[in-house]
Amino acid sequence: MSSRLGGLFRNTGFAIILLIVLLAVNLVLNAARFHPAAWGALIGLAAPLIGAAVASAPVILAGRGGIDISVGPLMGFVNAMVIQVLFLKLGMSSPFLLVPAALLIGGAVGAVNGFLATVVRIQPIVATLGTYLVLTGVTLTILPAPIGPAPGWLKAMAGTWSALPLIALFAAWWIVRRLPYYDQLMAIGSDDRAAYTAGIDVTKVRFIAYVMTGVFAAVAGLMLTALIGSADPNIGQAYTLIAIAAVALGGVSLAGGRGGLAGAAIGAIDIFLLQSVLTSFNVSTYVLQIAYGAILVAAVILTAVQERSARPEEI
Amino acid sequence: MANIQRLLSSTNGRVLVAFVIAGLLHLIGTLAIPGYSSPFAIRAMLVIASLLAVASIGQTLVVILGGIDLSIPFIIGFANVVAAQLYGNEWNFAVVCVFVLVLAMLIGAFNGYIARRLDIHPLIVTLGTGMIVQGSVLLWTKGFPSGSAPAEVSAFVSIGGSAGPFPFPWVVPSLVVLSALIILLLARTPYGRRLYALGSNPGAAPLALIDPVKMWMLTFSLSALFAAVTGILLLGFTGSAYGDVGQPYLFQTIAAVVVGGAALVGGRGSYLGTLAGVLVLTEINTLLIGLGFQPAAVQASLGVIIVLLVSIYGRERHVSATI
Amino acid sequence: MPDRSTLPAPLLHARDIALRHDAQPFSQTIRPGEIVGLAGLDGHGQERFLEVVAGLKKPAQGTICLAGPDAEIRIGDFRKAVANGIAYLPRDRRATGIFPTQSVLDNFAISTVGRDSRFGLISAASRLQRYQTYRDRLSISAPRPDAAITTLSGGNQQKVLLARALALEPRLLLLNDPTRGVDVATRHVLYDVFRGLAAEGMALVVLSSEIEEILLLCHRVLVFRDHALTAEMTGAAINTDSVISAMFGRAA
Repeated sequence: MSSRLGGLFRNTGFAIILLIVLLAVNLVLNAARFHPAAWGALIGLAAPLIGAAVASAPVILAGRGGIDISVGPLMGFVNAMVIQVLFLKLGMSSPFLLVPAALLIGGAVGAVNGFLATVVRIQPIVATLGTYLVLTGVTLTILPAPIGPAPGWLKAMAGTWSALPLIALFAAWWIVRRLPYYDQLMAIGSDDRAAYTAGIDVTKVRFIAYVMTGVFAAVAGLMLTALIGSADPNIGQAYTLIAIAAVALGGVSLAGGRGGLAGAAIGAIDIFLLQSVLTSFNVSTYVLQIAYGAILVAAVILTAVQERSARPEEI
Repeated sequence: MANIQRLLSSTNGRVLVAFVIAGLLHLIGTLAIPGYSSPFAIRAMLVIASLLAVASIGQTLVVILGGIDLSIPFIIGFANVVAAQLYGNEWNFAVVCVFVLVLAMLIGAFNGYIARRLDIHPLIVTLGTGMIVQGSVLLWTKGFPSGSAPAEVSAFVSIGGSAGPFPFPWVVPSLVVLSALIILLLARTPYGRRLYALGSNPGAAPLALIDPVKMWMLTFSLSALFAAVTGILLLGFTGSAYGDVGQPYLFQTIAAVVVGGAALVGGRGSYLGTLAGVLVLTEINTLLIGLGFQPAAVQASLGVIIVLLVSIYGRERHVSATI
Repeated sequence: MPDRSTLPAPLLHARDIALRHDAQPFSQTIRPGEIVGLAGLDGHGQERFLEVVAGLKKPAQGTICLAGPDAEIRIGDFRKAVANGIAYLPRDRRATGIFPTQSVLDNFAISTVGRDSRFGLISAASRLQRYQTYRDRLSISAPRPDAAITTLSGGNQQKVLLARALALEPRLLLLNDPTRGVDVATRHVLYDVFRGLAAEGMALVVLSSEIEEILLLCHRVLVFRDHALTAEMTGAAINTDSVISAMFGRAA
């Protein structure tokens, strides 16, 4: 166990240190906002971003340029479908109908991405760019303007209860890590040729990673719906790039095979805390954006430099 | 069938197919929509395509190198706003252009240096610097950029403009000359040959006396240069500065390059292909809008069409074929 | 080998080279016109020595110096090595040799791409002419020079890479297992080429994993064990038994 924690720290060292520093700064600056009593609300605010980052990770881990830029629009699509189509039009309000339906939508979109990227073998960034455009367009077509409200139980998930879907996400990943599938995923992520030669069905393993990303993105979409308590066609897209930034910040290699969902989540929390610090200074969103970019570049540079110095000398 | 497959597997074949598709789309548009081939409509398409073509130069070079540049839309916005603002502050416009272009090239060189020297995925580096650049510009102008372009720049890209006796603005013939230069640069200069070689096999490049860091810095700075040029041209085109003016170009430049037959893994692609991709994208856009699609539906159809086109001729090899 | 007294002046001095901190240092000189073989069990330092001479890796101690027109030139990095007349043919053709998406002609000319430049543009005629010289000399069988390099057989790909190295017009040619994955007929063509180059005064250092190749080709053999130079054999002293014994660290 300690070796696993060591591994997590090696990959995400910078993100963890940043997390501690930002948390301390927040506790001092925003004592009220970060009072233990308010933690539930905070988790709710951070949940969609954490979900988006966690969802982006599996396909990136699978390597060979694997990436899903449709995660953000998929969250928006789930948001629009659940509220506008399933709840308001079809009158479905039970969580036992809406949650499985949302997961099914996410899984189906993930399967389309996976089919395009692994069976048709279109470069992942192009394939998911296609779904990005389609999902954005379809979302705007079924939901031209924001609409509400969300079912009561879903709105209630905005605060402390938003921990529940997050726990579900990590429980699912915890199970995946105990399956042979996880080893196969990491193997093809670090060297797909070697993995293929060793008899791993590379196409299948990558395909499943896309489906997993889709399902996780649907959970993130539900958390987003809970947070805003309504449906908004323009809210999803923004999550894609920031989620990829969080994943990179959290030490997941964009080349695949290195990192994990915990790192991605830590990266997302970093960004959330940073946002919180900067808003308490009352800075404009422009400064926020500069800070995102600067932290992202600094994090990847520091990680790369740290890896270099850690590499043993050959002679 | 075997012939078609051979055609599609060669780079030249893909370029040819992309041009044919652009032609077919134009034919469909002409048959389906009255006025699709009217002089004004064709002029508009040419100008819009020219702007996208300039923005896509950098993406083409970077993709041949095996990278990707997400900072293009941000650099476009940066050049657009900074040029307008400084010109509004009564700077000489030539000085403004030099200043903006040099600054953009420095940003690009930074992207290339960090990505190659530290072996960080260019997607992340260019995204990060892009965010910094855009945030800085917004901060400087407090979100409300002012200023405009000189009348000469507006005339240069105006749809109603004319190049001497010809019924299109100077940007169109200029692009033709620029394209010829870029194609020559890729095919017939040491830089071009090294660019393909480095993208084709980064491991072999240093042994063939190619300096990867230098090549990446140079290529990303060229990408930023042409993005900045696009930003200045867009200032003339729209008449006023707007920080997000470059956003549509993020995915469109990638799509143009890929539809034109380049592989994102590097070593393949050509600017002629990108031009074909630019025409395809412009035709699709115009056609769908002409057919009365809402912008949202246009976007969705664009997504489907990109995926369809690339699945016809942009497929990667199966892992078993790479061993 | 000619008589010692008539030997040409040394081309390269390797002085007090230690391949690792704990390895015994050694010195060597290489003269124009000789073919020097490097042998040893895999990973015993012979490849590292070749890379040190090429300037690709730094030794733990010692210097590599090339004879220059006036003074000696110390080799510190690969570019400097190439600029002063060293060419290196890598071992792994796919990983560090060919540019798979490029043509035969591109693959040949890439290291010397500046030589065909006329006012910044590459002269296709000059490039083709240079290629044809080496195509004839190495009997490269490529249907068309503008076909992709991957359409050639392994042996012909290797010949193109050799042509790329020779186009640098080196004084010292370093070959890292040059006939790996090459068919027998092509091997013998390559051996003849190597002998011809040596006869013209080029020095060649050949690392080979096959002892027969060393026996066939080399005037002198350096055998490495545990990152040290443990045996040196010349002329008639080179035979299968002596080389294998030295590789395994036994007295012959």
